[in-house]
Amino acid sequence: MIKIEGISKSFKDTNVLNDISFGIEKGDFTAVMGPSGSGKSTLLYSVSGMDKISAGQVIFEGINISALSEEELASFRLTKMGFVFQNAQMLKNLTIYDNIILPGLVAKKELPEKIRKLASELMRRMAISGIENRDIKEVSGGQLQRASICRAMINNPEILFLDEPTGALNSEATDQVLEILEELNNEGMTIMIVTHDPRVAAKAKRVLYIRDGQIAASKELRKGGDSVLELDNWLKGLQFNNSQTS
Amino acid sequence: MKLLLNLVRKDFKRNRVITTALAVFLILSAIFMAGGLRVTGIMLSSLNGLNKMAVPPEYVQMHKGDYDEQAVADFVAQQDYLEDALVVRMLDVNNAQIICNGESLEKCLMDKGLVTQNENFDYLLDQNNQIAIVKDGEIGVPVYYAEDLNINVGDTIVLQNGAYQKKFKVATIIRDSTMNSSLSYSKRFLISTNDLNEVALHMGEWEYCFEFLLKEGVSTTVLENAYLAAGLPSNGVAVTAAIFNMINAFSYGLVALVILVISLLLITMSVLCLSYIIRATLAEENHAIGEMKAIGIPAKDIIKLYQIKYTIMVVGAGMIGYLAAIPFGDFFSATVIRYCGDGSSQWMQWITPLVGIVLLSLFVIYRCHRIIQKHLKRTVMELIRGEENTKQEGHYRLPAKALKAYNLSMALGELKCKWKENVVIFLIFVFSSFLILLPMNMNNTINNPVFLTYMGIGKSDVRIDIQYSNNLEQQKEEAIAYLENDPDIERYTVYQNGYVQSQNVEGEWEYVRVQNGDNGVFPLEYLEGKAPTEKNDLALSYLNAVDLGKKVGDAITIIYQGKEHVYNVCGIYQDITYGGKTAKAAIDFDRKDIEGYMIYLDLREGIDIDNHVTKMRTVLPNSKITPCDAFVFQTLSSVIANMNQVQGVAAVISLMLTILITVMFLQLMMAREHSAIALKKAIGFSTRDIQIQLGIRLLVIQVLAIIAGTLLANTLGEVIFAGMLATVGVTKIKLLIAPLWAYLLCPAVQLGVVVMTVIIGTNTVGSYHIRDQIME
Ligand SMILES: Nc1ncnc2c1ncn2[C@@H]1O[C@H](COP(=O)(O)OP(=O)(O)O)[C@@H](O)[C@H]1O
Ligand SMILES: [Mg+2]
Repeated sequence: MIKIEGISKSFKDTNVLNDISFGIEKGDFTAVMGPSGSGKSTLLYSVSGMDKISAGQVIFEGINISALSEEELASFRLTKMGFVFQNAQMLKNLTIYDNIILPGLVAKKELPEKIRKLASELMRRMAISGIENRDIKEVSGGQLQRASICRAMINNPEILFLDEPTGALNSEATDQVLEILEELNNEGMTIMIVTHDPRVAAKAKRVLYIRDGQIAASKELRKGGDSVLELDNWLKGLQFNNSQTS
Repeated sequence: MKLLLNLVRKDFKRNRVITTALAVFLILSAIFMAGGLRVTGIMLSSLNGLNKMAVPPEYVQMHKGDYDEQAVADFVAQQDYLEDALVVRMLDVNNAQIICNGESLEKCLMDKGLVTQNENFDYLLDQNNQIAIVKDGEIGVPVYYAEDLNINVGDTIVLQNGAYQKKFKVATIIRDSTMNSSLSYSKRFLISTNDLNEVALHMGEWEYCFEFLLKEGVSTTVLENAYLAAGLPSNGVAVTAAIFNMINAFSYGLVALVILVISLLLITMSVLCLSYIIRATLAEENHAIGEMKAIGIPAKDIIKLYQIKYTIMVVGAGMIGYLAAIPFGDFFSATVIRYCGDGSSQWMQWITPLVGIVLLSLFVIYRCHRIIQKHLKRTVMELIRGEENTKQEGHYRLPAKALKAYNLSMALGELKCKWKENVVIFLIFVFSSFLILLPMNMNNTINNPVFLTYMGIGKSDVRIDIQYSNNLEQQKEEAIAYLENDPDIERYTVYQNGYVQSQNVEGEWEYVRVQNGDNGVFPLEYLEGKAPTEKNDLALSYLNAVDLGKKVGDAITIIYQGKEHVYNVCGIYQDITYGGKTAKAAIDFDRKDIEGYMIYLDLREGIDIDNHVTKMRTVLPNSKITPCDAFVFQTLSSVIANMNQVQGVAAVISLMLTILITVMFLQLMMAREHSAIALKKAIGFSTRDIQIQLGIRLLVIQVLAIIAGTLLANTLGEVIFAGMLATVGVTKIKLLIAPLWAYLLCPAVQLGVVVMTVIIGTNTVGSYHIRDQIME
């Protein structure tokens, strides 16, 4: 579905990504790991077209998104991609519910009634029904993060991008989010997630390990087979030290 | 100190746009403040200087025709409160008989008289403020004509009557302490005694000015009453020093006042900006402030630290403003200097603006101090209580149905939630539209023919004055005979003027000039009440009403021909003619008591007024025929010219400030909302969407502000304008608005400027790195 062909990204004179190539198929669940500052987020933003890349190209369903105009990219993000960030970002002048349906109403892919129904359904699935009319400051971090996932899903995107979605959550909230991600993936949603938490990465089907702007290693995970422990060992083998990343 | 400077420099680098905008605001305020005061200083110095050298009379009675010289001399000898007296002979010459550089001065509406230099007082001065001297064959030309007709020293002026011709060389340009202003009805040309005697044999009509200087502390009313009571020659107007001063204040002071009003507006805008910016920048510094408090730096020093930047800016702006006000002030003082000279107290033009700037700086610095102090107190409290500074803004709801114009809905929604942040920009937009409209409306009012009615002149196309002549009746009959047969005349009314006596508040009997005639045909604007309609109705000019202590509905006793009559005060109107003291009533004057006739007339649609006036002048050569529009334009020409400049400057400044403030607020808005903007981009809003949303928010604020500014200009503006005109006896005035400009073009230009600024100013949104913002 997405072909990443030799992309590089540099800020001024520092090279952050260096000739990275890989592919993402429909239904994939890719986790990106690596030391802090290694370029994980940069990779995610480059693949999703939010950052202009310095070299190479990203082909999304046959379309070279590096060549799209700003306007076209925006509509791409609106209708085909969903995003979730570390600090759940929401517009503070809207309620949780309005935040969720906003991209739906703007995209107009569906009738408003359908969007509203979908939003309620998503919220029920994420177990956050009842907080619809709250302010974003009146809910917990976990609830807010689940609400962001609802928002990301409102336009039925082709792919869901998540940048350390559990970074600011406690373990209980992390589990809830993970459960949802797994469920979504099981239903066929393509997911690309950046994380430094092996527990999160263990839910993926594939882990890419980034170091010095390149894919230093990658590992296919067996469905329900590989344990967190096994992944941990693999990472230790890559001299990954969890304590470095806090 | 070095550390502080470093801090200031770093701060400037970080907030370049905002700092620049603030600096421009402060500098402009300072320029206008200092400029207005400089103009004021120059004006006061000029007028003082001119009066000191020229020694204007305190009371002047004009008279046409012969008089009893002995009676006047006796009167002067008897009145011990007189300091000095003078009889000035003036030879009135018909405008058509004066040919300047080959062209006759027929089009000029003011009277022209030839005089010789006076002795003892009321000197005519040259351009060096020295007593002007002309030799035989030379002439001194009043500044007004030098300016208006571009007459220079060395030009030739010819007086011509039939076969007689006398050539003069312009030797000097004259400053005249009493008749300088374009508002003054006549102008004096200076020639030698020999020439005057010669010319008088061939043309012109003698007019005499009985001029008096009073001893310290004596009121002109005393002299006025004694003069009239003595039955001395009074076939002409009487003018007092108070009227000269009013005319001068209006001619030269109006511009200074307008500039000062603009500066007050700018100062208000600056202080608003300042408070907003200080709050916005300090909000980002909460952490640093907390740390400083923690390590025990006293609050005083923290205030000083943040204050220093603004103090430096204010002092810098003050200095720049003071310097820039020199050319700025000089530009708007050119007229007064040309007419009155540099003056005797030139220090005023340096000291007055300096005092103003110092006060302005102290005020702004004090405001800064207070704002920082208040903010610090609050921040510290919040830090102690561990409260977050981010307050909840409230929500807007998305529509239940489809979100059609989503940018509009979101912009309006956000505006609703964030209105508090926008109060300042709203107010600044209000003031900036006020700033454009106030001078524009004032200028438009002065330029409008209706303005005449505020000045006591009925609105009509043409006015014919038959005055100061020995055969008034015959002239009047001639005029009426002509008017009756002229098919181009739509209608006309004849008024008679005469004097009656009435008691003022102090119980003294004063002479009151009364106009008699149908006051309904060419109506005036009445402050209160209405024009006289009944037999014993009497309307008073505002100044007379004050002087005589009368209100509408009061009874007033007047004496005419030794008999008392009781009239009913039916209305009060404004007037600046005849010193602002006139009345209107149906008094049946005896022919011998009639001072003069005044005929107002309207021409038929489509008749060219100027052409027709020229025609009428040939038929009625002895009457003064004035096209009213042209008259206002000529009398107010210097004021109008200056007002035009002020209006232009104000518009440019206002638009500039609109741009600045828009840029500045966009920066602040984008900085404050950077994460929301990044988020919007992430979830699929394009740069254009975000630009549109920011633009709509600003435009909605601006549209509301323009409406408020327009209302303010019509209400508060009227009060301000009336306050200015109160110096000349006009207390109430209705601003006359040119709707096309005030309601359409101006707002359109302002909106256009904001739209363009938003488009350019928000271009940076395109280069926003979504992730940078989101990661923070
Ligand atoms: N806008 C930017 N300008 C300059 N350098 C940047 C910018 N954004 C990221 N970087 C640099 O790129 C590198 C990779 O950043 P990032 O992708 O955020 O790392 P990770 O997500 O793996 O922690 C870091 O060294 C960071 O300093
Ligand atoms: Mg990262």
